[in-house]
Amino acid sequence: MASTDTLAPVERGSAGSLWRVARRSWDVLIALTVSDLKVRYGRGGWRLVKWIADPFALVGVYLVLVTLVLDRPGEAPGLSLACAVIPFQLFTTTIVNAMSAVAARRSIVLNMGFNRTLLPLSGALTETVAFGASLLLLAVMMAIYGVAPTLATLWLPVVIAITLLLAIGVAYPAALLGIWMPEIGNFVMSFVRVLFFIAPGLVPLSQISGTAHDLLLINPMTGLFESYRDALLYGDAPGGFELLYPAALGILLLAVFVPVFRSEQRQFAKIMEP
Amino acid sequence: MHSVSIRAEGVGVRFLFDRYQRAVTPALARLRRRGTETWGLREMAFAIGPGEGVALIGPSGSGKTTVLRLIAGVLSPDAGRLDVNGRVGSLLSTEAGLLGLLTGRENATLLGVLAGMSRAQSEAALDEVKHATHLADAFDRPVLSYSEGMKARLGFAVADHTGPDILVLDEVHEALDHEFRQIVAERAHLALSAGGVVVAAGHDHPLLATFCDRALWLADGHIAADGPFEEVRRAYLGQGA
Repeated sequence: MASTDTLAPVERGSAGSLWRVARRSWDVLIALTVSDLKVRYGRGGWRLVKWIADPFALVGVYLVLVTLVLDRPGEAPGLSLACAVIPFQLFTTTIVNAMSAVAARRSIVLNMGFNRTLLPLSGALTETVAFGASLLLLAVMMAIYGVAPTLATLWLPVVIAITLLLAIGVAYPAALLGIWMPEIGNFVMSFVRVLFFIAPGLVPLSQISGTAHDLLLINPMTGLFESYRDALLYGDAPGGFELLYPAALGILLLAVFVPVFRSEQRQFAKIMEP
Repeated sequence: MHSVSIRAEGVGVRFLFDRYQRAVTPALARLRRRGTETWGLREMAFAIGPGEGVALIGPSGSGKTTVLRLIAGVLSPDAGRLDVNGRVGSLLSTEAGLLGLLTGRENATLLGVLAGMSRAQSEAALDEVKHATHLADAFDRPVLSYSEGMKARLGFAVADHTGPDILVLDEVHEALDHEFRQIVAERAHLALSAGGVVVAAGHDHPLLATFCDRALWLADGHIAADGPFEEVRRAYLGQGA
């Protein structure tokens, strides 16, 4: 049986100390995320402007078009659409980030030993920071439609937490795919985009009936989209299934793929050879 | 204080390829089934104790970098056992773990944390790292604008500043200018006199001789000879390599 005890310094010295390992992992996670954010948003005062402008450039224009120009029927259609598009954006950008999480840090991975299991998580954290600016869009849409916050709005942190849980859960298989089969990246993203269209993204679930309604419930995006609408548009508490299903899926993905990623991480250098 | 050491027993590193000869990981190899394998290292055994400077010499493809990557924790052995006791500082490529879009300062902070320092320690050490790199204002410029030598200086300064017990160097020190080579040699001697270990690979034997008393001659993933540096070097060069 092959073995090694060559671990990152603190990990090696503190096998019995969960606290030290957790603190070290936190430091590494933050250092990776901060470096990611610096690459993305640059430095100086303009980074705040870029952080806010990014989601507006990405989906804000589309939402404004739906809200002010297309005049679609239904209850606050722009806000309803935002409740789907914005969380889905976190989901897709996390997958894109995860698929290149290891390759983008090739020089580090080939130079030193550290806990590479944190790389997909760091990518998800980076996308979460970007997602924070997208939440401003939701507030803007509520203001445009004159939808006042209700007590149900207090559910928003829970809904966001479950969105993050699912995004982090998906980040690990995405990162493995990015290492194993980088050539299928475009196909993966096409498949991910399909998830939006087989969920109640463009129209709310209440406007869909019959078998289609039941089938859409299989998609974890359905519960997330409807939860955002419940909390921000309908003023209701999200249904248990809407939150528990994506949460359970996120936990399942983490339970399956984090151990796989951990066992694979010491092999990355072999397939990253020039 | 713990005793710094490296001990390898029957260590092997296997590379797997799919039917299109693309390198794959073991999990993917199991999924793809048909494929081939080759051993980059096989039945490697050695022990390095405190205060030893060891050079890895041999032709390209003989396994020098793989051994260094094992010691640095970049790879794990697929067979045998490797025990590394001590904090490792590694400089294994001219990229030195640097990210091009980050400045020297930002890279130094990140690499310091990845090497085992806390964020506060890494940030507090920046002025000293900057001084050690001799990069002056370039320290705050993106690494994309650096020469290979500047990258190696930064990478070495960060690795050195984490206070490694074991210094692992792979040819990159050969990209350094004369002045900085002397600094590397001095640092290596300091580490050795403090009971540390230096393991370095390269083709610049006079440079290796300045801090390595012992050499391992690697050939086709095996140890062909292990002994005093000059003796092993002469044997290696004498066989027409």
